[in-house]
Amino acid sequence: MNRFLKIVLLLLLGVFLLLRVVDGTVLYYINQRFVWLTGLAAGGFVLVAASYFLVSGQQTHDHSHGHNHGDVTWAGLLLVALPLLLGWLVPSRPLGAAAIGNREINIGQMGALASVAPPQADNSMGLVAGEKNILDWLHEFQSSSDPADFAGQEVHVVGFVYRDGRFPADSFMVARFTVSCCVADAAPIGLIVRWPDAASLPTDQWVDVTGHFAVGDFDGQQVPILVVDDLTLVQPPAQPYLYL
Amino acid sequence: MDVETANQAGPELETAVSAKRATPRFLIGLVVLTAVIFALARFTTGPIHDRFQTFTTIFLGIFIEAVPFLLAGSIVSGLIEIFIDRDWLARWVPRRAAAAALTGALMGFAFPVCECGVVPVTRRLYHKGLPLSVGVAFLLAAPVVNPIVILSTYAAFGWGPVLIGRLVFSVLIAFIAGLLFNLAAPEEALLPTTQADEACRVVDERQGTGYGRFWQALAIGGDDFMDMARYLIAGSMMAAAMQTLIPQSTLLALGSGPIISVIIMMALAFVLSICSTVDAFLALSFVNSFTTGSILAFLVFGPMVDIKSSLMFLGVFRKRAVLYLILLPMALSLLMGVAINSLIVQ
Repeated sequence: MNRFLKIVLLLLLGVFLLLRVVDGTVLYYINQRFVWLTGLAAGGFVLVAASYFLVSGQQTHDHSHGHNHGDVTWAGLLLVALPLLLGWLVPSRPLGAAAIGNREINIGQMGALASVAPPQADNSMGLVAGEKNILDWLHEFQSSSDPADFAGQEVHVVGFVYRDGRFPADSFMVARFTVSCCVADAAPIGLIVRWPDAASLPTDQWVDVTGHFAVGDFDGQQVPILVVDDLTLVQPPAQPYLYL
Repeated sequence: MDVETANQAGPELETAVSAKRATPRFLIGLVVLTAVIFALARFTTGPIHDRFQTFTTIFLGIFIEAVPFLLAGSIVSGLIEIFIDRDWLARWVPRRAAAAALTGALMGFAFPVCECGVVPVTRRLYHKGLPLSVGVAFLLAAPVVNPIVILSTYAAFGWGPVLIGRLVFSVLIAFIAGLLFNLAAPEEALLPTTQADEACRVVDERQGTGYGRFWQALAIGGDDFMDMARYLIAGSMMAAAMQTLIPQSTLLALGSGPIISVIIMMALAFVLSICSTVDAFLALSFVNSFTTGSILAFLVFGPMVDIKSSLMFLGVFRKRAVLYLILLPMALSLLMGVAINSLIVQ
């Protein structure tokens, strides 16, 4: 029975990973560049599960010398079932505003605590202003010490709505998470947005914002603030995170 | 191995009885867990709901990222079991303590595994009679000293003090730990199921041809996976819970002095529990705000010890040995990081 449960769990783990890759929700959990590993592992689980049937006819080994390797207890099997239960019973969602409360947020102020934007990875220079995402803008902010350098530049970004006590009623942050490995290392980044109807936007709502930068004051610092020309509500993108 | 124990009877009546009770217990547990998770996911609101959702996402993130590596390590372990000859291994490993520990520290080039895959491989090599010190050095160094991680560190930092420092200090710390474990007897440090067992020899090198042996290796790998996966899952859950409950900003805001920064980056590496194949990219984002010594401590200590790997050690070693395996690299990495920082300041 122990053996039967093992085979079932191995098969289900394979199916679980395969389904995540097929429906794209694997991108809620890990960086895109490791998805091929998840697919490979799905195949590996099926192969390993199959191997139990293919060796079943072989001679067995009398373990009368006092130990059993590979005997997993019921609690151990239950633990292996846990990712399957959590994966299938809890709706799969990318990290949202609630997860920011636990992390240092980077809005590109000069002297930010942990800069998520390593200068080596900067590839935003060749992009037209309208094509730059939030991460590209933070790279640019880093290369300049004067927020006025960006005043008037056109911006078009997509992100989710985040706000905390520092935001006045007409402001919110359009935020994204950056992920280098998996969501365990997710770091929030964002641009401060000014919009008269900001209060009408629920937290976590994904928005597509077009506008331009103006120098403004946020939490006692001079920063580029995105003034809205056009704002539309959108569905969360298939690829919710930005990759470093 | 389950493959072999499946049809046995007689001498292990007790095991058979407990196995009979195991299935109902498993099913009851499954129903209870299902109910609890379902209730938490659907019937809670506000901060509890948000925290649970965040916890689930981070837990599945760590699990999905790590599980291919654990599976690969388990399959390698099965292949070692079937295809590597015990006497050949004994001949190949140097006898003198220093040479043996150094061999262990550099064995990652032969078995390119990260910190999840290295555990089942080490366990299997112990089972094949690998000396304790060699295995310890291998376990600690292999997640860094292997071609894949060298390449990813190079991609993030280029040739320079960080890459060279990471390699040199990983080998050095693993070497020292290996030498120290040389003082202990294998039965003091290893779990009974891990130790080499002459009685198992008959089966371990059993006959068979071609595909049959390959399938046998896979089935043994499956058993190994099931054995180690529970530690990985328990570790991922603890890491996800820590991340959900303790704000990362509290950790990072503690300061960036030459000593405190090393401690903070080591704590971060321990809590994050991310794979050694990619941690260099994350470390890169701390370069501007943290000391060089602390970045190196993150890159050296993290692959050796973190929440999920220290839990996985429990599947191979006795508790006291696991404690040493955590404390030794911790003390040595701290020493290294602080020493580098004070050298740079001068």
